[in-house]
Amino acid sequence: MFKQVNAMGDACPTPVIKTKNAIKELNGPGTVETLVDNPISVQNLTRMAINHGYGVKSEKLGDNQFRVVMEIGDDSKAQEEGEVTCPVPGGSQNDTVVVISSETMGTGSDELGAALMKSYIFSLTQLETLPRTMLFYNGGAKLTVQGSAALEDLMSLEAQGVEILTCGTCLNHFGLTEQLGVGGVTNMYDIAERMGSAGRVVRP
Amino acid sequence: MREKKPALIITFSTTTDAMGMEKFCAAQHLPGRLIPVPREISAGCGLAWKTPVETKDSLLQTIEEAGLHWQDVHVVELWA
Repeated sequence: MFKQVNAMGDACPTPVIKTKNAIKELNGPGTVETLVDNPISVQNLTRMAINHGYGVKSEKLGDNQFRVVMEIGDDSKAQEEGEVTCPVPGGSQNDTVVVISSETMGTGSDELGAALMKSYIFSLTQLETLPRTMLFYNGGAKLTVQGSAALEDLMSLEAQGVEILTCGTCLNHFGLTEQLGVGGVTNMYDIAERMGSAGRVVRP
Repeated sequence: MREKKPALIITFSTTTDAMGMEKFCAAQHLPGRLIPVPREISAGCGLAWKTPVETKDSLLQTIEEAGLHWQDVHVVELWA
C-alpha cells in the first residue's frame, strides 16, 4: 500500500504528525511519501523513522522541496511511544542545563540582584534556542513558587518544553512545599544526573 | 506556538528610576513588568518597563502625575 502526505508549508511538528497518521492508515506494511519544504522537517521525519525501525530515504526535489520516503515493514515497532520534538529556531532546545542557586544574580546589592535575576529569566524566554532543563535549589527554590515574580516567565518556558525542576529538600527547608507554582520537584540524585549529562551547565 | 507580539517599552536614565517604576506600579496595581532593555533600543539604564501597547496613554499620564522620571517610549516585537 502507498500513501502520499503533503506537508508543504507546515511547521513542525505537523509533518511528523501527518506522516504518523498516514502510517496508521496503512494498517500494515507499505510506503509513505511525505513532501516538505524545509531540511529541519526532513531531519525530524528521518529521526522518527529510525526510532520506529522504518526504512527511510530522502531527496531534495528543488528549492524548498524535499521528499521523504518511509518503508513500513511487518515488524516495525508500534507508533504510540515517543514525543515529537521540534529542533527549529523559535521552539528549539539544546542540551544546556541552567542552574539557579539563588534568588539574586551576583553580589553587591540584593535589591539589584533580584531585579537582575528576574531580567535573566525573562531573557531566557527571548532566546532562539531554549535550555533543556532549569534546576532550582537553595534560594533559587523561592523563584518557582506562588507569588514569585519569575513565575510567569517560568510557566512560559515550561510551555515551550523546558523542564523546570526544584529541589524538594530546599522547598521543605523554606516551608514552600505546598506553594510550588511551576514544574516538578526533584532530588539530589536527579540534580547530579542532569548536571552530569548536560552538554553545558549555565549558572548565572 | 511561540510568536512575537508588539509590546510597549518604557526606558529610564537610571536603574533607580526603573526600580522606582516597579515599586510604584506594584503599589498602584498598574500593568507591566521590569525587563532588560531589548537589544533593538538603547537607553541610559539596562532595565525597562514592558506593558501592553494599549495601556500607553493611561499609564504615561499616571506616572507623569506621580512625578516619575522616564527616558523614552518604544514599541518592540517580543516573544510572547
